[in-house]
Amino acid sequence: MVSILKRGLAIIILLVIGYWLAQGLSGVPFGQDKMLVGQYYLNHVKQQTGAVNAVTAVVVNYRGFDTLGEVTVLFIASTGVGALLWGKNRKRTARTEGSVVLTTGTRLLVPFVILFGAYIFIHGHLTPGGGFPGGATIATAFLLLYMAFTMYEIPYKAFEKTEGIVGMGYVVVGLIGLAIGGYFLFDWIWQTWGWGHNNIGRLFSGGFIPVIYTIIGIKVGTELSGIIDNMLKEEVKE
Amino acid sequence: MNGQYASLLIAIPLLSAFFVPLIKGLGKRAIKSYVLMITAIQTGIAAWVFKEVYSTGKPIIVIAGGWKPPVGINLYIGYFAALFILIVAVVSFLMAVFNFKAVTIEPIDKYAMLFLLLMLGATGMIATGDIFNLFVFMEITAITAYALTAYNKTGEAAEASLKYMILGGIGSSFFLIGVALIYGATGTLNMAQIAQLAGHINPTVAQVGLALIIFGLAVEAELFPLNAWAPDAYQAAPHPVTAMFSAFVVKAGLYAMARVLYLMSSVGTWHNVLKLLVVMATLTVVVAEFSALRQRNVKRMIAYSSISQVGLIALAFALGTQAGVDAGVFQMVNHAIIKVLLFLGVGYVAVQLGGADIENFRGLGRKMPATAFGITIGAMAAVGVPLFNIFWSKLRIILATLQVGYTWAAFLVLAASVVEAVYYFRLVHAIWFEGEGERVGESVPLVIIMIALAILVIAIGIYPNYAWSISQKAGADIFNVAQYIKNVPLMGVGA
Repeated sequence: MVSILKRGLAIIILLVIGYWLAQGLSGVPFGQDKMLVGQYYLNHVKQQTGAVNAVTAVVVNYRGFDTLGEVTVLFIASTGVGALLWGKNRKRTARTEGSVVLTTGTRLLVPFVILFGAYIFIHGHLTPGGGFPGGATIATAFLLLYMAFTMYEIPYKAFEKTEGIVGMGYVVVGLIGLAIGGYFLFDWIWQTWGWGHNNIGRLFSGGFIPVIYTIIGIKVGTELSGIIDNMLKEEVKE
Repeated sequence: MNGQYASLLIAIPLLSAFFVPLIKGLGKRAIKSYVLMITAIQTGIAAWVFKEVYSTGKPIIVIAGGWKPPVGINLYIGYFAALFILIVAVVSFLMAVFNFKAVTIEPIDKYAMLFLLLMLGATGMIATGDIFNLFVFMEITAITAYALTAYNKTGEAAEASLKYMILGGIGSSFFLIGVALIYGATGTLNMAQIAQLAGHINPTVAQVGLALIIFGLAVEAELFPLNAWAPDAYQAAPHPVTAMFSAFVVKAGLYAMARVLYLMSSVGTWHNVLKLLVVMATLTVVVAEFSALRQRNVKRMIAYSSISQVGLIALAFALGTQAGVDAGVFQMVNHAIIKVLLFLGVGYVAVQLGGADIENFRGLGRKMPATAFGITIGAMAAVGVPLFNIFWSKLRIILATLQVGYTWAAFLVLAASVVEAVYYFRLVHAIWFEGEGERVGESVPLVIIMIALAILVIAIGIYPNYAWSISQKAGADIFNVAQYIKNVPLMGVGA
């Protein structure tokens, strides 16, 4: 009886909240031209940032400060996993070796998966994608290795150090902007040095976007691999 | 010096957190000293920013990437942000000292990174002038807080962290939907421009968006009924982290709430949201005080007391008057001081005597007199005894509440204060008049910190004018939205 009452009450509350939310949503002009800032980006992106991919330009350049934050969020996630799963003697405990198809496929594919990941983040200012998907693709290569071979482990100490160094690299790029252009995360390569101005649409353009996306790609790749490593290993008692 | 260098407040903690993996081999002591050094540098920069803002009277606008708002993201370090960034840095510094005694569980390198990033997240939340950037910094703060809550790796810690994570996750999604609604209705994410356009939004959309944002932030700001995670998390987290939660993490959430609330004050349905918030805040105070009464664990008891005082701050902000906001800011400052003092004292007792149960506090006056003195001052102040700092801010909040006409809320808050007095005096009684015990050695730096904080508590209590004038300026910074809009150099995109 009580549970039915409780459930009824929950449903009624949900309906009320749902109706109220729908009211709000229906008031947002959907599909109409509501682009204050958006239009500005579209009009000025090429000349101001040198990127053909406007999304990338917004993510890394116009709103690069947010991206620095997002990179930090991922860093915290990997640090948090590392802190909570910490143990003195953690080893891999998987017993079943991967099948022939998996091991052979992995051997053949891993270099190409890494190459493709690198391609995605290096071309972030030209094509869809960028540091985050590129890094995730690279981490997939390591995940494949973990699945195929029971003994495999990443050099996690080196990965951890790389993660820290590239993270510092991002902040340092920002600080160089502060020193040269007077603003934190200022695009000094495009706006002060003027590199690649007649190269728009090709690889060597886009100011510091490829630099930052390379940093992010390496960082995301090492971080996600580190998380996989942490989650797969178990504390072993001697 | 150029105001843009205030961006170092963000850059330095980030850079130094990323640097930790490179020095992790040097041992625990080295890493803790490193954190101490970084927080000291951060305090120095924050002090410079504070001096700059309060001496020129102009906010520092940090423009990230050189893109003028609303195209780029800006930080707005006005009176309020300058004051609270300094508090965040100082509290982090003091807790970095406490780390040496209180945190022994491995891995210290990860703890150091999370510690620095918690400081960074709160600093960013307070400084930012962009509503999506606020979300990013909120995520940084929240996710570090989840990880740090579980850091002790006990069963309770895991449970507390999971609770926090679920509620925090729901809160963040609410917040994000709210931001999306407001972005959909205005086409901008810059807070100043949102404030400019707020009057033109469809009132229903504005109400729904604002309410979602407030609900999302209420998790971080520990408002009833979304604060179920808080006592568990406070109890389970490492002691320095608990003090940081109470001193500035919850404050960052409260500030964000107040800021967004007042930015939208030109919305027609604004007063409905205020009324909802007044009810939530009053309930927070009452429920938390009565829960505190039943606790046997002193750390948990003070956690409840902290929640109730946070409710008081939220009440002050929800009044919608200048007097209310000023009083709320004043209470925020005072509360930060005494909660650091109390959690430091209680945490130190827990470290020395093995646990924060009330049993350990019997005869504390003989065992650890300096710590006992610190806790006593903190307790007296928390209750609101005259000539201690909280007395003035509580008084002002209640006066402001009466001015607006919420007599019932003022009455309930006063009644809750009586309850608060009961359990705090019970604690003080246990410390000085019960039990026996041998003298236990006390660490000199921690005693110095506690005595300094106690002196500050009494100094503000006897001479509140200086702190009050600073709080008034900081309050005006939140309340006076027209000035806020004027201070941000918006380039005329679309407006």
